[in-house]
Amino acid sequence: MLRFILRRLLITIPTILVVITITWGLIKLAPGNFYSGEKPLSPAVEQSIREKYGLDKPWYQQYARTMWTIIGHLDFGTSLRYEGQSVNSIIRRSLPVSATIGILAYLLALVVGITVGSIAALKQNSMWDYGSMAIAMLGISIPNFVLGPILVLIFSLTLYWVPPSRWNGFPSRNLILPVLTLSVVYISYIARLTRAGMLEVLGSDYIRTARAKGLSEKDVVIRHALRGGLMPVISYTGPALAFLLTGTVVVERIFALPGLGNYFIQASLNRDEPLIIGIVAFIAITLLLMNLLVDIAYAFLDPRVRYN
Amino acid sequence: MSSGKCRQIVGLILLASLACTALSCSVVSSNELYFGNPVPPKRNILRYVSGDEPASLDPAISDGQPEARLYMALYEGLVEYDPKTLAPRPALAERWHINNDSSEFTFHLRHNGRWSNGDPIDANDFVYSFRRALAKETASRNVSLTLYLKYAQAYNEQHVFVRDPKTGQFLLAKDFDESLPAEPLSARPLDAAHPEYLPDPDEPNPHPDTAFHQKMHTPLRLTLPGTEKARTKRLDANPKLKAAVAGKELVPVTAEDLGVEAVDNYTVRITLHQSGPFFLGLLAHQVFRLVPRKVVEKYGATWTQPEHIVTCGPFKLKTWIPYDKLVLERDPMYWDAATVKLDELYFYPIIDQHTVMNMYKVGELDAVYNHAVPNPWLHVLQDKKDYMDAVEAAIDYLVMNTTRPPLNDVRVRKAFNLSIDKQAYAAWRRIVKPLTAFTPEGIFAGYPQPKGPAFDPAAARRLLGDAGYPVNQNADGSFSCPKFPVGEVEFIYNTQGANRSVSEWMQAQWKQNLGITVPLRTMEWKTYLDQRSNLDYKGFSRGAWGADYMDPFTFLSLFYIGGRSDTGWVDQKYIAMLDEANRTLDQKKRYELLAKAEAYMLDQQPIIPLDTASVNWLKKPYVKGMYPNAASLYAWKYVYIERDQSKWDFGTPSLAAD
Repeated sequence: MLRFILRRLLITIPTILVVITITWGLIKLAPGNFYSGEKPLSPAVEQSIREKYGLDKPWYQQYARTMWTIIGHLDFGTSLRYEGQSVNSIIRRSLPVSATIGILAYLLALVVGITVGSIAALKQNSMWDYGSMAIAMLGISIPNFVLGPILVLIFSLTLYWVPPSRWNGFPSRNLILPVLTLSVVYISYIARLTRAGMLEVLGSDYIRTARAKGLSEKDVVIRHALRGGLMPVISYTGPALAFLLTGTVVVERIFALPGLGNYFIQASLNRDEPLIIGIVAFIAITLLLMNLLVDIAYAFLDPRVRYN
Repeated sequence: MSSGKCRQIVGLILLASLACTALSCSVVSSNELYFGNPVPPKRNILRYVSGDEPASLDPAISDGQPEARLYMALYEGLVEYDPKTLAPRPALAERWHINNDSSEFTFHLRHNGRWSNGDPIDANDFVYSFRRALAKETASRNVSLTLYLKYAQAYNEQHVFVRDPKTGQFLLAKDFDESLPAEPLSARPLDAAHPEYLPDPDEPNPHPDTAFHQKMHTPLRLTLPGTEKARTKRLDANPKLKAAVAGKELVPVTAEDLGVEAVDNYTVRITLHQSGPFFLGLLAHQVFRLVPRKVVEKYGATWTQPEHIVTCGPFKLKTWIPYDKLVLERDPMYWDAATVKLDELYFYPIIDQHTVMNMYKVGELDAVYNHAVPNPWLHVLQDKKDYMDAVEAAIDYLVMNTTRPPLNDVRVRKAFNLSIDKQAYAAWRRIVKPLTAFTPEGIFAGYPQPKGPAFDPAAARRLLGDAGYPVNQNADGSFSCPKFPVGEVEFIYNTQGANRSVSEWMQAQWKQNLGITVPLRTMEWKTYLDQRSNLDYKGFSRGAWGADYMDPFTFLSLFYIGGRSDTGWVDQKYIAMLDEANRTLDQKKRYELLAKAEAYMLDQQPIIPLDTASVNWLKKPYVKGMYPNAASLYAWKYVYIERDQSKWDFGTPSLAAD
């Protein structure tokens, strides 16, 4: 097990370097540059900007410099768009915002999704089952850029119950709408996955054995069925958590949250090379770690899985 | 699923969606006077959205309007924009003298100017700030606005003077360039018999002579590129110049050569290399605002971080959490702190327009930036009493690539202009005013703005015929132009705001009136800018321009030396006409000459004017002292929260000067 984890962690490093290289190449290929705007700059001014940020150097020198600061100093450099702000500080500052919203949405999705999914599976073909699954289908189908504004329209602009947007720390009422908007699709997925997993497990031989042993229905469901039924949910929620942690572009934009996702999209639109590379690398690392955690969780939950 | 249950569920969903629709209808159709219930904040604060997160808090570097508004709170320069008219008003300079051809300006500073850390402000701060803004290492985006200063361009681009080692004399520009205008007064030898300033009885000696002053009062020296490669190219192109330079020594142009001088601690003198009747108004621009030398030199690029920053405006930085909020507080050190009415000023960086509107409606914002109201909201908000309805010193137009056929033919360009019904266009856009010229209408008082031709599709078809693309009328009354190379033109625009519908509107006009269907192509912002500025497009593109200062020249200079119109149209005659106008001292005569140049440019039709823009923003009625002026720049020290409901604004406040 330990060797498996170690090996996976080691593979992470070249993966990240490849990701950074590809990202760097894509930025260089993209038309436009960080300083262009509606008011055009004279060639002389463009030249001084390029010199100031080292963009006048040949591409291999720029690449070498970028890689050296990242590998040698674990530093992603300074943002081009936001004068004087280091990429590391931007990530440090915006990650807690994204993570707060993400973890809250994740927890909400797990609790509600698993509960609803289990109930639907246990009461298969009942009104509960059909109703919850229909709503779940709706939840998956409505994109959050539609759901968010609808929730704002109802709860902020009409009923004046909660603020419509902005970050106000944790805990605050500003969190309610973004967390709700973000979690609906995950609740729906998890509910449907739980239901499917549970139904499969509930019909399996070892559940029949457990029942035959005379275990109470509660023990059968919680100790045996749920453990097996949640396998698909686990493999889904690993990467999902990674994406939730590292920010969701749409929700952060609708609710004007200073999170990582917001910076990511702005950095791409602004051609802010160091910031794009920094955030992509960060998301890649998080994603790889989450996948590793999922694999480890598998080993604990499913006795059939062994890493040797 | 049984059909009964299925029907129940479908019914539930329908009911829910109906409820939502009803809810949204109730929001839209409410006939309240204001958008959202106006409740003043409990404290004396103003919560504002200026746009996206500022690129920098350094006033020299960024050229954006969202930043300009922020800088107006944090920094001050020699003069400040009037809250209504935007005319230059005294700020750190109490009074000034301008020489007789507007080529030299002497400013007398107030003695009580202070930085936010308590240090006094003196003339050397201005010299430092100007030199820094123009230094190549600063890489300011605003350089083009500063090039009127003597030797500004040469210093910024690190050029060299040419000096004869034997005599110590510098080569002069006029000896190698006959097209140069006559020297302005500021470059002629001082002559006591003909003083360059009008006498001021209140100040017997307002502009003392100095060694630097004498140096400025010499003819413009020749400058050459600093790099060997560019210099050789320049010299090879001009044999006379090459012969003159041979054997001479090259002297780098330094910051000390720039036309700005601290005459004494409280007198700043600025020398231009040309007449600049508009220059005083330009001095309120962010690039001319003061930056603190000690802090900048100590911390470099991080001097604007909250723990280091020192400012000189009515407000100082309290909190800055990027993409969250920027909180400014009243600066007690500010020389006019007694006038400042707000305790705190909040800038929220928000990108999404709908989010801005939501926050305004629920009362979390007191005012929003210009152009904030999204198009689909206009029919509801336009009649509200907190909607700001005023013209903006900005225009929308279409850019044409005049370097490629078929648009390199002026008749074709004219045909495309004549076939757009601008009246109908403006009525459809709801808030803009139709425009046939290149300067905004109703902005520059006394400017005899030329009128372009009115909508005339028949003339347009004739012109196309003359150019070799005859337009035929079909049996059903529609037109077709089979010979026109449609594959050689397209309309590019960036995917944002109303651009798509505007492009489709133009496409429909040309199809209706000329029988030509111009293909549309949308693209992401930076890609679009790249294609446009490299003339890497064929046909048409969208253009918009806002005034940097209150003079028609800010628009007309787009086609001047150093301007970039993205049309490929460069005309020496036009440039000479602008030069002639700017040398003219009589303001009325100057305006006439500028108008003549504008008319000439319109006749060459590198662009198609569309409209004079509208400011299009919202402000709660209790926000007073904030006016919908033409540049959407606000002198924050006059803004206050009015708690007496009877004194609230009802509709757009008047912009007439007090």
